Amino acid sequence: MKTKKGFMLRKVADKNVVVPIGQASVDFNGIINLNDTGAFLWSILSKGCTYDELVSSVLSEYDVNEDIAKHDIDVFLKTARDADVIED
Amino acid sequence: MKYKIADIIVDFDVLHPHLGNQIKDYVYDGNEKTNLHVRFTDQFYEDLRKYYPNLSDDTLEYMYLGGEFYSTLVYFNGMMLHSSCVVYNNRAYLFSAPSGTGKSTHTQLWLKRFPGSYILNDDKPAIRLSKNGIFVYGTPFSGKTNLQQNKRVPIGGICVLERAETNSITRVSTEDAIFALLNQTIRPYKEDELDKIMNTIDILVREVPVYRLKCNMETEAAEVAYNGMKGNTDNEN
Repeated sequence: MKTKKGFMLRKVADKNVVVPIGQASVDFNGIINLNDTGAFLWSILSKGCTYDELVSSVLSEYDVNEDIAKHDIDVFLKTARDADVIED
Repeated sequence: MKYKIADIIVDFDVLHPHLGNQIKDYVYDGNEKTNLHVRFTDQFYEDLRKYYPNLSDDTLEYMYLGGEFYSTLVYFNGMMLHSSCVVYNNRAYLFSAPSGTGKSTHTQLWLKRFPGSYILNDDKPAIRLSKNGIFVYGTPFSGKTNLQQNKRVPIGGICVLERAETNSITRVSTEDAIFALLNQTIRPYKEDELDKIMNTIDILVREVPVYRLKCNMETEAAEVAYNGMKGNTDNEN
């Protein structure tokens, strides 16, 4: 899975924002605010990865047990899919 | 002919009265090098007429030269904010909202309430960052009205305007400020232009307070806005 084409992750005034660019800005009229963990997940997803790769990236970056990591990733992915910014 | 708009030297062929009238005060006869040179070909106009059969050449010229100017502005640490900008006590206050909300109606209340205030640009003022501070410029692109002046004024504050029964003003969160600015400027299609705008917004939301004004159409709305924003004009220039 991968973030859809045409979104730019930027740090603006210490906030993580994802901004649509080009055609994506026509379909998605807004911005996405992410916390630091969300920005980490986004940056991994923007290169394309499997679910298991995402989980192992989180486990190597954060001191967290696997069940909690998976739960948080699932919540993030559901929100991102509902916003239609991720493709499989 | 050369014009100087927001300290950017442009070379335009202005053939029609709408922009022709509004750009008169911006004629430039100095020797600084031209930053933007635009000549629209007959073919360009012909294609536009097919695409916008209801728009006159007058309107097309105004729209497209404006578009060229504001795209260039992005490369000069600047951005357009779709807003009505009023100046009082040498500070520029920008009131931004989607069309039809009542930006111009609100700034007209300032003119009534605060003698000496004036409209710097009623629709598309230019904001530029510089070593000496953050400034707002009048531009000839002021919408249907000719409410604009060729001046540069230190920024006082930015305000998102909403209609309400009673008047109140609050600071918005950084996230809301970023969205407000990005939502009321020309969203560029090109990635490097967007990147430049994000750099500008990054500085703006750090340096300039952004508010949400809920307001009615009484002159009290101007008082509430001014009293809420004046305390934060500490970027002396």
